[in-house]
Amino acid sequence: MANEEMKSKLKAFFMSDLGVDGDVLNYDTPLFGEEIGLDSVDSLEIISFVDDNFGVSMTGVAKENFQSIDTIAAFIEKNKA
Amino acid sequence: MTSNNRRCVVSGLGVICAVGNNVEETWNNALNSVSGIHKTTSLDTKNCYADLAAEVNCDTLDEIECPDEKDRASKLCIKAMKEALNDAGLGDFADSSRVSVIIGSCVGGVLSIEKYHRGGRDANEIPKMPIAAIASQVAESCHAGGIVTNVGNACAAGTISIALACDLIRAGKADVVIAGGSDSFASVPYSGFLSLHALDENGCSPFNHCNGITLGEGAGIVIVESLEHAEKRNAKRYCEVLGAGVTSDAHHITAPREDGICLLEAMERAVRNSGIKKSDIGYLNAHGTGTGKNDNAEINAFLKFFGDENPTLSVSSTKVMTGHCLGAAGAIEAVFSIKALTTNTVLPTLNYSAEDSEALKAKVGNMDYVQNKPRSKELECVMSNNVAFGGTNASIVFSKKPGDVQSQVAKDKKIAVTGIGIVSPIGNSKEVYLESVKNGKLPESASVHATVTNDDYKELGIKMAFYRKLDNLGQLQTVSGMRALKDANFTVTEDNAKQIGIIVGTSEGGLGATYDFQELITEEGNAGGSAFKFPHTVYNAAGGYLSILSGIKGYGVTITTGPLSGLDSIGYSMNVIHDGQEDAMMATGTDENLPIITELCQKLNVAADKVVEPYSDSKGFVVGEGSVSVILETEDYAKARGAKVYCYALGYGNGRKNVKFGHISGSGEALDIAINDALKDAGVSIDEIDAVCGFANGFKKLDDIEKAAYARVFGDKLANLPLFQVKERVGEGRAATATLAAAEAALMLGGELDSENAYFIANDGSVSKKTVATSGFKKILVTSFATGGSYSAVVLGK
Repeated sequence: MANEEMKSKLKAFFMSDLGVDGDVLNYDTPLFGEEIGLDSVDSLEIISFVDDNFGVSMTGVAKENFQSIDTIAAFIEKNKA
Repeated sequence: MTSNNRRCVVSGLGVICAVGNNVEETWNNALNSVSGIHKTTSLDTKNCYADLAAEVNCDTLDEIECPDEKDRASKLCIKAMKEALNDAGLGDFADSSRVSVIIGSCVGGVLSIEKYHRGGRDANEIPKMPIAAIASQVAESCHAGGIVTNVGNACAAGTISIALACDLIRAGKADVVIAGGSDSFASVPYSGFLSLHALDENGCSPFNHCNGITLGEGAGIVIVESLEHAEKRNAKRYCEVLGAGVTSDAHHITAPREDGICLLEAMERAVRNSGIKKSDIGYLNAHGTGTGKNDNAEINAFLKFFGDENPTLSVSSTKVMTGHCLGAAGAIEAVFSIKALTTNTVLPTLNYSAEDSEALKAKVGNMDYVQNKPRSKELECVMSNNVAFGGTNASIVFSKKPGDVQSQVAKDKKIAVTGIGIVSPIGNSKEVYLESVKNGKLPESASVHATVTNDDYKELGIKMAFYRKLDNLGQLQTVSGMRALKDANFTVTEDNAKQIGIIVGTSEGGLGATYDFQELITEEGNAGGSAFKFPHTVYNAAGGYLSILSGIKGYGVTITTGPLSGLDSIGYSMNVIHDGQEDAMMATGTDENLPIITELCQKLNVAADKVVEPYSDSKGFVVGEGSVSVILETEDYAKARGAKVYCYALGYGNGRKNVKFGHISGSGEALDIAINDALKDAGVSIDEIDAVCGFANGFKKLDDIEKAAYARVFGDKLANLPLFQVKERVGEGRAATATLAAAEAALMLGGELDSENAYFIANDGSVSKKTVATSGFKKILVTSFATGGSYSAVVLGK
């Protein structure tokens, strides 16, 4: 899957499943910052989505990989089989 | 010392859980350190990382009247109730208005929701679904005819029920209250806690390994009785129930505050309201779920609270025996606490190795966390704590001595209505609603919605980081609540955050979200639940979100008894203020109309197929939704902050004549009782009532009950008495419309709604309509109903 497609899929997930307003969500927007405000419950949903859709486990992965759509996509890219 | 007329005693106990089907069996197993946690046999555990549960093993649950009409949660509760009544030497109450039922639950009839979804959408399952069925069916089983209330504060619901029972008795509203909680083990909570990674695959290990909870199921019942009533009938007396404390974290929808300060405040209130010293408490039955977040918050809160004053307090969690029984937890743990007190025995937390004990000691110091085996200890008072999703904290004290209980200390204070927030299908603010009324707006279809938009959030300064988490019910609730605060010009600050509380009334609460969650896991399996959606299934999530958003940290209770919950939220709020618990309260009513809600109404043949108006003798009603919030505060408090006053809340009343849950026919005379009770409470005569804001919705069966009761209560006066019916404009929004009826009365008395469409019932029962001026009204009666035969009334006045 092309990187751009992956990011677009991730963005669609944040909008549909985690209620994030797409207008303010760029690929480099901090997900756990004040504006988007994700928390530990949301990270469980991210882990589950990434596992189901990209076959990559993010369980127990360091926080910095969850910073933005860019960093999640980079992690997936690096770790996919 | 507590005056005799404020003393509440426990006269009967009943329990059913994984370690026993009655009190004796449960207690003996607890003394023998038996755990009821096993591999679950009732649910699908495919791909699930944890498969343990503490399930009830009882083959006599169906030995009750009409078992097919009851969910497992009701059956568990009725079994415990029968044991408790038998223990107390009480039986059938013949609809006595002095006997009440208050039952807590988290997931209520969730098994019936699953059965409906998986099993062909059988309409017979529908009346078993809402939490409201439980207390109603308990009342029906023993013909309790007083106020019947369900508490929906998730895992703290059982404790809050017992606290409310005492409040009612001390307010003179009941002599006997059947109080407790009930929940069954089911796919939705199992899958939900799995999705949160909050289940411990090895079984819960509170204050020890702290890897998560293990779910249980069961019910607990405590018969709370006024001392006077118990003495008169020479009843058994286990102990006294002293004070309780209920607070809100205003922090997170699932996680407790790490600093535990609001739990600490709940304990502080419980001790203060009991009139005892911290050192009088010998044993604390902790919430102790086994999650790291909960257990660490509790350990810190206990150290901070009891510290030097009571360093050798004995603490344990009995959840290793029973599992976490959610809304039943507080009730079952109350039974454990009372047995501990009366037998001078402290119960242990199980499964500690020598190494575990050392590790615990490092965390808790000298505090006596009882491990593995029970121990004898002379006890004077015990405390039981529970906390819940939505950020609820509840603490209660049981005692051998009467203590010095503070209640009704502010009974002489006038309660002012100072703020109104309306979210309805005809407008998302008070101003737009009033404009719509002026323009004679009516429902656009037979199923209408109140749509919250980004404009609402923008206007109220609610950020996307917050509102993105809300489900529909949470959206309705937070917008109406924030609008009410704004209308009251009430700014919540660090200084006043504990002086204001919230009571949410909701008929179906999280039922729609529970159905949607069930739909998801039917598709995906129990391993495929959503951590994001699961919190919405608990009925107090909406109130929890409002507390987080507003910063309100005081009292926080969600009642879920049917439509009248939106009026009982006002009655109970008045009681909280009169008890001196809070200076101000937000009373709200909220219900939603998700597609499944309209479907359920249609299946039950109560949904109209076109727009109908009140008293139209129709076969159904317009299904609606919304949220209406009202700020109540003592007159002094309102004056001190320069608040405008719409009107005053003068009194409230309740009546019940038991009919089957889901039905209303034959219960009408209970509305007379509710009205007369409210008038008496308000010190107002029937002749002083200038108008009624009622509950007619067009459905003939319901409207006829209302008409007949008014004819009996008002007699000849009825023909000239204006009746206002908000449902003509917004449909049947259950609790939302019950509070809206009260809000309309307040708007009329406050001069903001100077004319409105009124219905008049002639002597021959015929109904006419005309617009009337409202400026001369001084006192307005507001009424509401619930299926099962409960009615409520509130009197508002200038």
